[in-house]
Formats: sequence, structure tokens, C-alpha cells
Amino acid sequence: MKIVKINEDNCIYCHLCEVACVVEHSQSKDIIKAFKREEKPTARCGVEFNYPLSLSVMCRHCDDAPCMEACQNGAMHRDDRGYVVVNEDKCVGCWMCVMACPYGVIKRDTRRDVWGLSTKCDSCPDRDVPACVEACPNNALMFEEI
Amino acid sequence: MKWMKNLKTYTPPAFTVIRDDYRCIRCKACVEQCSFDATFYDEEENRVWNWDANCVSCNRCAAICPTEAITIEKRDYSYRRNYSWESHIDSLKKRAIFGGTPVVSMGNDKPYKIYWDHILLNASQVTNPSIDPLREPMELKTFLGKKPHNIEIGDDALKTILSPQLEIDIPIMFAAMSYGALSYNVVEALGRAAREMGTFYNSGEGGLNKDHYKFKGNIIVQVASGRFGVHKPYLDVGSAIEIKIGQGAKPGIGGHLPGEKVTETISETRMMPQGSDAISPAPHHDVYSIEDLRQLIYALKEATEYTKPVIVKIAAVHNVAAIASGVARAGADILCIDGFKGGTGASPQVIRDNVGLPIEFALAVVDERLRNEGIRQDVSIVASGGIRNSMDAVKAIALGADAVYIGTAALLAIGCTMCQQCHTGKCAWGITTQDPHLSKRVNPDIASERLINLLKVWALEIKETMGAMGINSIESLRGNRLNLRGIDLTDREMEILGILPAGE
Amino acid sequence: MKIVIIGNSVAGINAVEAVREKDKISEIKVISDEQTRAYSHPLLPNFVVGDVSRAEERFYYRERNFYEKHNVKTLLGRRAVKIFPKNKYVELDNEEKVDYDKLLIACGGKPFVPSMKGVELNGVHTLTNIKAADKLKADLPNIEHCVVVGGGLIGSKIAEKLAKKGVKVTLVELMRRVLFPVLDDAGADYVHKELKNLGVKLVLEDSVVELKGDKRVKEVVLSSGKTIKANSVIVAVGVRPNLDFVADSDIEVNKGIIVNDYMQTNIDTIFAAGDVVEAYDIVISQKRPIPILPLAARQGRVAGLNIIDSNVKYKGGFPTNSITIGNISFISMGIVDSDEFEVLKIKKDGEYRKFLIHDDKLIGAILVGNIEKAGMFNWMIQNRFDVSWIKDTFLNSDFGWKYFNKAFRVLRLDRKIK
Repeated sequence: MKIVKINEDNCIYCHLCEVACVVEHSQSKDIIKAFKREEKPTARCGVEFNYPLSLSVMCRHCDDAPCMEACQNGAMHRDDRGYVVVNEDKCVGCWMCVMACPYGVIKRDTRRDVWGLSTKCDSCPDRDVPACVEACPNNALMFEEI
Repeated sequence: MKWMKNLKTYTPPAFTVIRDDYRCIRCKACVEQCSFDATFYDEEENRVWNWDANCVSCNRCAAICPTEAITIEKRDYSYRRNYSWESHIDSLKKRAIFGGTPVVSMGNDKPYKIYWDHILLNASQVTNPSIDPLREPMELKTFLGKKPHNIEIGDDALKTILSPQLEIDIPIMFAAMSYGALSYNVVEALGRAAREMGTFYNSGEGGLNKDHYKFKGNIIVQVASGRFGVHKPYLDVGSAIEIKIGQGAKPGIGGHLPGEKVTETISETRMMPQGSDAISPAPHHDVYSIEDLRQLIYALKEATEYTKPVIVKIAAVHNVAAIASGVARAGADILCIDGFKGGTGASPQVIRDNVGLPIEFALAVVDERLRNEGIRQDVSIVASGGIRNSMDAVKAIALGADAVYIGTAALLAIGCTMCQQCHTGKCAWGITTQDPHLSKRVNPDIASERLINLLKVWALEIKETMGAMGINSIESLRGNRLNLRGIDLTDREMEILGILPAGE
Repeated sequence: MKIVIIGNSVAGINAVEAVREKDKISEIKVISDEQTRAYSHPLLPNFVVGDVSRAEERFYYRERNFYEKHNVKTLLGRRAVKIFPKNKYVELDNEEKVDYDKLLIACGGKPFVPSMKGVELNGVHTLTNIKAADKLKADLPNIEHCVVVGGGLIGSKIAEKLAKKGVKVTLVELMRRVLFPVLDDAGADYVHKELKNLGVKLVLEDSVVELKGDKRVKEVVLSSGKTIKANSVIVAVGVRPNLDFVADSDIEVNKGIIVNDYMQTNIDTIFAAGDVVEAYDIVISQKRPIPILPLAARQGRVAGLNIIDSNVKYKGGFPTNSITIGNISFISMGIVDSDEFEVLKIKKDGEYRKFLIHDDKLIGAILVGNIEKAGMFNWMIQNRFDVSWIKDTFLNSDFGWKYFNKAFRVLRLDRKIK
């Protein structure tokens, strides 16, 4: 299975992976509309910086995913492609997955009315190569077999 | 007050950053990419803001902006028009305000005549068939080094002992750019590209990082007046040793690496203290004459057991032909001539912009002089300084060069936009910086691939034009000035270049 | 092979999935005294107040066609009453005998109801299963003032939910703070504040001794002698392993069913997992029941794999809890309140972080407010990670990968180290 390989030596801290992720997961998939018209989705990757280091981290799609184990109602599940994804209609925002994720890559989206929403990398189901990988100008993110 | 520009300079900004607010999504990519403190994000106002005075027009922000919201423009000249003074007002003020001579980078940017653009190439029609390089063999392989005057054959074998030669698959090498001036990743990319393309990259005068010893077989090591990082293993790893007497961008003065760029690894490689300016002496203090140069050449040959050719690099200056003759007689195997359009990592502006000769003239007169003296085969000639495209290379070879060095062109391939800030060590493209965060911006995988592409394309272009001229080997192009014609040149200029005017 | 699973919740379901990963043939039977398909126990407080209903897919642990998809026969509404290990069958409450080759006991916990007078009165509820939740939900319109007994996870949550619904709530807790084993005083302070903001009255260091009333409870008497007028009581003191039907069998039991590293009981063919067992706690280095959902899932999975002889070890677990009260999220892991260990803590703007370290190993953590990357600490506790060189950065709100050493970070992110 291919996942996004993180080459931190090439990360230039431009945040374009986050931008691409937001656009990909927006309704319009249009960069201007996603940022200025819609309620902007949360980026699934997170860029960290500690001079001179920077790197973007997103879900590693574990074989034995602790987030799935911890999920109280199966919202966190493995899809047909083998990636760990959240069923947005089921997620109740209990943050058990946040507590379980050994990579710390599940983010909290608290903007829904009743339920919170765990937000994580879904490896872009509508694309061959995830948006962040395509956007990365310096090949710091590569979609590779692991 | 970090945001405020330095008002005490009383200088209007040279560039302006125009941001289309409709397009700007406040992603702050430009903010992170600007290494010159020209771009900021203001949380309170939710705006991305620029201090134009700091902008050097490197275009990094415009290139990275995902919505193409940024345009950088040269601010229109707003002083009262004055033909003789207008380009000097700010530069004069700079000296007056800061009390120092401005240090600049890259090559001479003044509008001197570029002679390459006034030389036309020939092509075959009817009487001499042109050649299609994609269908027929075409030879670009070149050997650099001293050639024998005559050869002796006995017992079915060559009896003459040949001097050591540099064998290159294309007549293009990467010019001397030191580790220190360039970031680690750029050196890595140059090394990989040189290896892939069967050519050489030049270490420059800053020594060689231990990691780059792996490129043995594709390295030319340089020995300059500062002798930074020169030791036995360094000499041994080079396929040739280059003595740098002068550099086209700054003839008459030594190399200069600002202390900002002398980091821990650089200081280790150069064997000098961290943070101090690395200033090479103007002359080699053991070379005050041709005889002294001969001693240095032979000292280096002795040290490497006569296994490597020695290159002597000189800047193109007024009496370059006589000097070249001396260098050849001093025992150099290869002579490199660097024209005044050549680049630099740091040079006083006055030197860069006013000293030296165009490479076209220097090359023509040196080739002519050595031929007349019957010693042309004693040295190979490498032309450098302002080779901008494959046709410049073809014209240089036709004027008498054996090969060319490219420096600036290689950096452009990697991303350089010629903003002339190499000396600041803040290169936003990660090329001429030692900042470990900025230097990550050059990914050696991508950069080496681009260099390889560039050399492959140039090689094909050279073959195409050679084929058009009906020549199938670069040997036959060398010094073949009959294939050159001058246009818009004076008779005297063409006489020096040794070419006929167009139509004749 | 005939596999029988007693219990239709987290451990049981995960065991089914584990078995079916490799074994598509064996017969699997799931026995449960509940009629409903597997649902989410932590959602019961939400269910009671109507945030979620039976009609919503969100309420269930797995999709509707789970049993068909995994080829599982269900015996729902049937209670297992006795196990006959020698003859390898389970007897149900209708005297039906269910044969097995391998048995998994995953029947969870049952509510612990402390001894107090009057628990049989109307208006007294528990909240550990859907039956109890249904009863409470039906009673909800009658409830004006509710006393919640026990400030644990369920108690705090239902108190919060009822208060948001406009019910007058008093929370009675025996200890000096709510969520006693889960938080420390400073952490619980946030919960106290949030609950008070919602109008919940807190009665700490007190307990209920008697419920008074005719048919329906009217008044609650505390051990301090105080009385509270209330027409409803929710007892949420905790759960205990549900050992009813193994009590007189040969299966070894302590506080819970004793299992080895393979989730196997003393009888080879019988496995146990979930809230019913006492498994290894790696933080305190001894076996004890830890009734939390992620461990039930993991144990169920390990049991399932071992039922089909995959020889997978259960590496042990430790308590981890995530709860949101009001607007603040809390995560706690391992040992959180002890003076015996090295303690790092910081309280800043809307955030509280606390870490307990013993022998250079992280053994517990509390995160309040900012719970980002909590799982990284979870990993460190689980893997006995040497934190001596990185612990200084734990208190930074932006703790993350950037603080790790490069070689380790690269190996982890490349999934070379699990």
C-alpha cells in the first residue's frame, strides 16, 4: 500500500501541503472559494517547525491502527483501499482516536452543531496521488510503497 | 519595530510587491519563503504585508504563491530624469550613508556589448551535406590537456608518453563555485550531474566536504591564493588541479566569502575559524612571476606524481594573450580564461562592473597568439564567464576554445533568479546560503535532474548546429572561425575576433 | 470449528473481525442478553437526552449487515447461564445447549450498586446498558431534580447532559473531586468549574446512604446527614466484571477472569476479553480489570487471533480516558496522581499539562484543553520509551515530532519502528 513518505530534509516550510489539503477537502475544490467563501475544512496534514527543521506529518495508515481500536462506534474504519478513514456521519467527536493515535495526526474539528469531528488524512480517495504530494514543490512528500 | 524599514537611508524602495487581495488566501506561504524580511503577516488586520525596501526581487514569493496573487515590479524611476546621473544617485548615497564600498554578487550587469550576439553561425547547403544528429553519429567527446607535437610509433604501439588528459563526454564543465559560496545540496547536485553526464564540476577554492569525496573522478579541485582546504587527500581526489590566479568577475582581487556564510561545516572544510570572512589574498604570494607559477605548477604535479593535468585559470585582462603564452610555457596543461561577465559570490561593485575583458576577445587573441607561437597544442583552452546558452558554447569553441565552463547557467537551472544577493547568505532559493533551513530549498534529486536535462539539451543543440554546418565531430569545430561571421561589428572588432563580416 | 462468543459488544465484535481476517469457514455464534445489535456504550448519556437515537447509524458499533458480512449467527436476547467446559457447551436461559470448540467470554461489566436503602424505588436508575438507558429515557419527562451518585466518567457525563437539558442535577461523589482516578485536583478543578457553569451542584466527600420515598424516590439522604430533595437518582459508581455465570465454574477468577498473555483462561479452550477480565497493566506491572473501550477492542482482537491459533501476545495496557465536559476536553493516561514519581506540570491559558515519569519512562499524563498529539504520549507509555532526553519539551503546547531526534523520527514516520 502506498502512503505519503515524509522527506523532512526537503521540507521548505511553505505550508502548500496544507493549502492543497484544504482545497481537496472543500466543497468547491476551488482554492479561492475554499478559503474565502466556504467554511474552510481543516487541513489533514500538519506542518511543524523547529529551526532549521520543518516537516509535514499526516496519517501513517497503521496496519494495527490504534485509532480504530479506540473508536467507540466504528466511525474510524479501514476503507476498501486499505486506508484508515473517518466516517463523518458517524463520528461523535469523543477524541478517543486523538488519545490513541501514536503519530498525533488526528485533528479536532469542533464546528459542527452537536458532534465534534475527528479530521485526518484520507489519502485523497478521489485522486491517484494525494493533493499534498502533488502540491509539494520540493518532493518533501512522496507517495510511495511502504 | 521589526517591520519598519530603515528610514535613515532616505532611499526609495527599488521594487514593489503587488498583491492581488482577491487572490490572496492568507496562506502565508510567501511569508515563510521570504528570507529578506520583506513579507509579513499581520494577524490583527488579517493581511499579508510587505516592506518593499527589503525586497530584492528574487521572485521566490511570486513563484511559490498558490493563487498567483503576487507580482513584483521594478519601481518606476521617480527622480527627475538625468541621463548622466540617474543610475548613480542611489549608489553614491549608499557609499555616503554606510561608509563602505558596496559588495555585490553575480556577474557584471552593465549594458556592455555582448559579442556572442553579434556572431552568426554557418550552415551547409548543397555543396557540403548537413548531418542529422539523431540519425548519424556525432562526436562531442573532448580530451583536455597537453598534446604531443609529434608522436612516435614502434612495435605496433604508441611510444610517445602522453600527458595526463581530462576526458569529457561533452565540452561543458561546471565552473569553480566553492562549497561555502554554494550550499551543500547544490554541490551535491553538481557532483551528481557531472557524474551522470561524464564531465567535471569544480570544487572552487573552498576545499571539499568529506561527503563529496565520493565524486572522485568527476571533480576538478582548485588551489587559490587563500589555499583554503588544500591538503594531500584533496589534491588526490581531483582529476585535475586548477590554480586560480584570477576570476573574471573581479580580476586583480582574491576570493571573498562573507563571515555570515562561514558556518561550522564550512570552517571545518576550509580549515579556518567559524564566522570570520574568508578573504583570499589578491595575488598568490608565492607567484610573482611566470617562473614562480612554473614552480607552483610543478609542485602540484610533483605532489600528485604527474598523474593529473594542471589548469591555470586567469581573468581576461588587457594583455591576456601574453600572459596566456607565459602560462603555457610555465607548464600548465589547460588554460582557463574567465571573461568579465563571469559570476561571483561576492565582489566590490566597482571591480565587477569596470574591470576585465569580454571573453570573446580574450579567447580570440589567446588562441591566435598561441597558434602564432606554435604552442597551441601545449595547452587546452577552457572559456568561461558569460556562457549563457549552447550557441555561446558553439561560438566559443569555433573561436578556439576546447571546452567551456558554466557557472551562472548551472545555478539558473537549479532555480536562481539572479537577484544578486549571494553575498548576503540569505539566498531565498537555497543556492548560495549556508542557513540550514534555507538550503533545504534545493532538493539535490530535483536539482541534479535539472542540470542533467540542461546539459543533455545543450549537447543536442550543439550537435544540431554542428550537423547543420556539416561537422560530425567537435574536433572539427575547434578554432573553425570560417564558420563564424560578424554582424553589427566594426572592422577592428572583427579583426581582433579573427572573423569575417556577414556577407563576405 | 465452532466458535462461541458470549457478549455482543466491543471485545466480542473485535474478536469476530480478527477471526474472519483469516478464517472464513468456522461457525461463529454470538450470544447476548441484549436484543440490540452492538451499540456504542459511551453514547448512552447522549442517547438518554436524545442527541442520538436508535434510528441513527451513529449509535451502533458496527454497520447493520455486520453479522451477515462476517457470517455470524446471533443468539440475541438469550443469556448464558452456565458453562460446561468438560462437555464444551454453554447453557442458555431457555435451557438450550450451545456446543463450542472455542469459547470467548466477553460479557463485559455490570453496574456496581452500593448498598443503600431504597434502591428498589421508582426513579432510581443505572446507565451501563441500553435497557437501563431506555428506562431512564422513558422516565426523563418525570425528572425534575436528579441526584447522580458517583462522579466517574458516566456520572459526570450524564450530569452534564441532564443539566444542559434543564434538569436540576446534584452530583454526589465520595472522593474530594470528580473523576478521581482519572484526573488530579488541578485537572478536576476544570471539570468542577464546567459542571458548575452548567448548573450542576457538586457534593464532594459524601455518599448516599438512603433513598426515601413511597413509590418513587423523593429524598436522598447522605452519610453526612444532609438531605437532598430529588425525584430521581442515577447510580453511576462504576462497573465490575460480570462474573455471574462463571462463578461456580472451573474458570479461575479474581476480580475479573484471569487470563494469560494470549487472553486464554485456565481452561485451554476458553478465552476471555474485555471488561470481564483482569489483564496486565503495564504501568503498575500487575493484572487488574481496566474497563475501557480501547483495551476491550485490543483484547478482543488478540483473543480472536489466538482462537484461530495465531499466537499473538497481548502486550498489556493501561487506563486511558478521553472526556469532554462543557467546552473542555480532557485526556488522561496511566497513573496521574502520585507524589512518588517525577512530575512535570504546567497550567497556562486554558490548558493544563501534567506528566509523571518513573525511571525515565513516562507512566502517566493529563492533558486538559489542548489535547493535540495526546496519542504520542500514549505510545510512549505503552512502549516504555526512554523520555529522559525529550521530557523537557512535554510541557510545550506545540509538542510534536519536531522535538524528537532525527533518526528516531524518520524511522517512526517511515513505519520502520511501530
